[in-house]
Amino acid sequence: MNRPIRPGESDEDRMERSRRVGWIELDRLRESRALVIGAGALGNEVVKNLVLSGFEDIVIVDMDRVVHSNLNRCLFFRKEDAECRSFKAEVLADRAKSMNPACKVRGIVAKVQDLDEGLFRQSDIALGCLDNIAARLHVNAHCCHHRRPLVDGGTLSTSGKVQVVMPPHGPCLQCSMNRTHYRALERRYSCTGSDTVFFEPRLAAEITTTSVIAAIQVREAIKILSGKGDSCLHHLLHYNGLTNQVLELEVPLDPECPLHGASRSGEG
Amino acid sequence: MSVRVKVRNAETGSTVDMELEEENTVQEIIEGAAGYWEKDAGAYVLRKGKKLLRGQQTVLDAGIGNSDDLELIPDPEGG
Repeated sequence: MNRPIRPGESDEDRMERSRRVGWIELDRLRESRALVIGAGALGNEVVKNLVLSGFEDIVIVDMDRVVHSNLNRCLFFRKEDAECRSFKAEVLADRAKSMNPACKVRGIVAKVQDLDEGLFRQSDIALGCLDNIAARLHVNAHCCHHRRPLVDGGTLSTSGKVQVVMPPHGPCLQCSMNRTHYRALERRYSCTGSDTVFFEPRLAAEITTTSVIAAIQVREAIKILSGKGDSCLHHLLHYNGLTNQVLELEVPLDPECPLHGASRSGEG
Repeated sequence: MSVRVKVRNAETGSTVDMELEEENTVQEIIEGAAGYWEKDAGAYVLRKGKKLLRGQQTVLDAGIGNSDDLELIPDPEGG
């Protein structure tokens, strides 16, 4: 016999409106582990969207501390966090948990290059919310190696991009890079004698562009995990907020890219 | 054989004509255009229509022809 319904019962279910979308596999989202790399502006928005979308297992990685200049675009950071120089990953994890106590959110304070290999293997999807090319290449390589989908986002002033990498198929982040990327990378790590100087340029950034890009990232993650990979971005989405132009640009697979050889070698 | 293309600056909308040889590479076009507009030292990509062009490709390999319109786009690196 069916369980009797009660008036107003649907209002008690926090995911009731999401269920009405139909194709979203809420059970799958709840059981999946999302690895969010970077807890800056994109990381804040992405985590907010993940929690509201029904993800309950989230790992956040970032090595930085909160500063005042983060406060124009980071939903979860407060002035006190900047004054205490709190770690971004820890603050974000705590505040995300307060949105839904059922969520298991872990903040890891570390450089992405120092992460345990198992973290990629144990995740179902990675969301790149990074601010530099070196870290992007590192995450891209690990996702390709472990065949984990990666949804990478980037912003610059009022423009942004989202690229979905679905190893072992299709192009990866490295395929879309050229010499200007590697020159930018070299400028970040200029070796002067015995010391390595890390130069971090201050990039223009504002919240509306961040919100758009983070929303697209999380929607692509939901599609992938809900078995809607076919309707996912297959290449690179470029967003120009000044003209409201959105372009999906085809990224050719680079035959010289070492990562495709690496991911193909594991195919049975 | 040389080809003449128009490169558009995605940030400002301004354009510049470039004369290219078949063996010129996409990254040379990117660096030439970025240098002409004295752009910040960041990462850029070049698109032709809906295709992002691979840096190592030559003009010939990329199928760039006379009167083609190309666009120089800054690659958003921030998070």
